[in-house]
Amino acid sequence: MGKFMKLVQNENMKIYRRIRTWIMLGFIIGLPILISVGKLLTSDSNTTSSWGMMHIESVFSFILIIIFTVVIASETVAGEFTWGTIKLLLIRPWSRSAILLSKYISTMLFALFLTVIAFAVTYLINFALFGSSQAGEILGGFGGLSNGEFMLKFYLFQFISLIIIVTFGFMMSSAFRSSGLAIGLSISLLFAGSIVTGILASSDKKWVEYVLFMHLDLTTYINNPKGSISNHPMSLGFSLAVLAGYFILFNAISWTVFKKRDVAA
Amino acid sequence: MSQAPVVRLQNVTKVIGKRTIIDRVSFEVQPGEVFGFLGPNGSGKTTTIRMIVGLMGMTAGDIHVGNHSVRTEFPLAIEQVGAIVENPEMYKFLTGYQNLLHYARMNPSITKERIQEVVKLVGLEGRIHDKVKKYSLGMRQRLGVAQAVMHRPKLLVLDEPTNGLDPAGIRELRDYLRRLAQDEGTAVLVSSHLLSEMELMCDRVAILQKGQIIDIRSIRGQEGDVAATSEEVLFDVDHPDAALGILEGQGTGKIVDGTLSLSLDRAGIAAVNRRLVEAGINVYGIRVKIKSLEDQFLEMTGSDKIG
Repeated sequence: MGKFMKLVQNENMKIYRRIRTWIMLGFIIGLPILISVGKLLTSDSNTTSSWGMMHIESVFSFILIIIFTVVIASETVAGEFTWGTIKLLLIRPWSRSAILLSKYISTMLFALFLTVIAFAVTYLINFALFGSSQAGEILGGFGGLSNGEFMLKFYLFQFISLIIIVTFGFMMSSAFRSSGLAIGLSISLLFAGSIVTGILASSDKKWVEYVLFMHLDLTTYINNPKGSISNHPMSLGFSLAVLAGYFILFNAISWTVFKKRDVAA
Repeated sequence: MSQAPVVRLQNVTKVIGKRTIIDRVSFEVQPGEVFGFLGPNGSGKTTTIRMIVGLMGMTAGDIHVGNHSVRTEFPLAIEQVGAIVENPEMYKFLTGYQNLLHYARMNPSITKERIQEVVKLVGLEGRIHDKVKKYSLGMRQRLGVAQAVMHRPKLLVLDEPTNGLDPAGIRELRDYLRRLAQDEGTAVLVSSHLLSEMELMCDRVAILQKGQIIDIRSIRGQEGDVAATSEEVLFDVDHPDAALGILEGQGTGKIVDGTLSLSLDRAGIAAVNRRLVEAGINVYGIRVKIKSLEDQFLEMTGSDKIG
């Protein structure tokens, strides 16, 4: 086990020794600060809700986190093929599964790292600038959740969606060995999601409830236990089960392709 | 050579689609032996090497490194192998040292001291903490050698190792490989299409064509022994035509590019020389035409088209 952690350590080195990674981090930290300072300068701070600001900024931050993590996930496998380093990586006394797992874990740790940073930054900057006294806005709606509970749930649910999209990117990276294609398809998954959901929502067919896109935004369950699609009332448990199915499918494909692949050229 | 072979290929076959890329290739490499793998482009050298190091699967047959099958006990087999497959590609955004550390972490037997030792061995002490993107090709080759020998492998596999090296670099690599084979008993498997290079480097070579081994032969102890058998001998003289007339009846002679060419044994060379001198013809040089590996190779593989 200790030996395996060295593989993860290697993958982490390949992520954090690149300037690019720190630029990404700069965006995650800088963007909420920029928005909050802008808000402070343009409006009366007494009417601004810290929780409300945190919520808005977190929505932005998560889009960035998904894009950045997808870039990392796509390059962790496809990059090795592009650079040619895969040839030296796979001739070590480790199975291909172990090497792929170390890459997956380091990618997920990166996702977690950015998420924690985003939570801390959006919380600290808004409470520093706007204070906690006028936390007038109630994010929890009629669900009876406190603002803090709402934000924690928001981050948890967003993180689950993040895992699914990143796992998809990871699979694409492993299957196509092209980081560009993997990044492109994963990001389009993110943005096409709401469009496809809109189209499918009007359908009365039962099977649309099993389409991945219908479950990528879990945050609708925070204030509405049946979800936001009135035609297809579903539950959080059902969505999680569907996502788990896709999660297993994506990983099964990644692993099968990576294990079988001949490394030519 | 009664020792157990370091690597043993048995009827290794690779079929991609309907094409048989590698067809029942079998050979063994002994400890301390430098074994060359020779063949025109597209003959399957690289594919065979990739199967040995597990980068490609095989359709049939098996490869053993030591006692371990590459197929079924990959980690145990590969532990004893160090390799550079084609150009040594490194992580350019890491330093040379970080690259070595990366591979060292994957092999528990490598200590920090060993990394330093290897760095010194390949002569990169001064630049090891620079980013690899600032390295020249020669320096990347050295780093490639360093990562391949760090864990003291029993088998060193090098695919086209002299690609992109300058003559001094090639010579250095050759000397190093020979030393490694002699002093540490490492078996070295080298592939190349540079025949003259292989001739200097290897003990034995296998010649591969269209995925099949057409010959395996020893290289050492073959040069320069002008035996009792007839060899082609070239005489550099001032009047080749006149000389040919004088030698009428002395075996089959012909004129090639202005030099006199005869098929003679050892005694015959002296006899012909004496007769030419006695006839007043100036002899500027006599040399036995040794068939180089290149000639032999081209003779065997012909000018076949790739594929």
